[in-house]
Amino acid sequence: MTADTFLFWLLAILTLVSGLGVVLVANPIYSALCLAMTMVGVSAIFATLGALFIAGVQMIVYAGAVMVLFVMVLMLFDLRTEIATFSRGRFSGAVKIAVVGLLAGLLAGVFAMTTALSDGIAPSADQADATKSLGALLFTKYVFGFEALGILLLVIAIGVVGLARSKGGTHAKR
Amino acid sequence: MRAARVVRMQNVDLFGPIGLNHYLILSALLFVTGVAGVLLRRNIIVLLMSIELMLNAVNISFIAFGKYMNKLDGQVLVFFVMTIAAAEAAVGLAIAVNIFKRYKEVNIRFFEHLKG
Repeated sequence: MTADTFLFWLLAILTLVSGLGVVLVANPIYSALCLAMTMVGVSAIFATLGALFIAGVQMIVYAGAVMVLFVMVLMLFDLRTEIATFSRGRFSGAVKIAVVGLLAGLLAGVFAMTTALSDGIAPSADQADATKSLGALLFTKYVFGFEALGILLLVIAIGVVGLARSKGGTHAKR
Repeated sequence: MRAARVVRMQNVDLFGPIGLNHYLILSALLFVTGVAGVLLRRNIIVLLMSIELMLNAVNISFIAFGKYMNKLDGQVLVFFVMTIAAAEAAVGLAIAVNIFKRYKEVNIRFFEHLKG
């Protein structure tokens, strides 16, 4: 077993176990902890795939900003009243799990059929100047999407402020 | 039939060197975990966390395909997904705070009272 293989299996198991923890742990604070662990694992997986810049962004945006947002909102809530963790109904629960299993099978099948794609194409060896070309790509080919995302962020910032100031919001006008 | 299956099994060599398939199957499993969370949990915060799980799973797919096709487009798309995810988390959590403020609970069944 080479170092690459070992690293992949370690990170995959870490990510999957903490991902399962998000779903299965009853206390939302532990869910948030597991989610942070998952984010770190995914970031490390990006690093093993050679996308070092994306790995850094993942750490800052997800493991940093988004997790702080989640934990802060969790702290606002009174979690002692948390009673029903999972949705009720034994039969509907079984149906939901069966649907998820079907989806897993479909996805695995699709991916197993894409093997031909991975043959013959050598993985990119050098990641030098990858960040530079990433920026160039972002501002040339994908500049429309970039600008559209900027507008989306503006709309969302205004929308969230509006939500907070609307009737019943946290900063409603008295 | 049997020959086809043998060929398929040779293609998917799970315990050999790490290839594209490993990352894709990891991505699929993580995505499915997120789907299970959305379907099974009732706490709105955990629901949003499960959605983040799904988005991360898709990001792994993007990066893996980008590496094995030797293109950077996948990484640009991951940027976009991350932006959308952060925005979605902000709006979702704002709505969750509103619901909690009114009903003193964060259970999903209070979403039907969101109107008005």
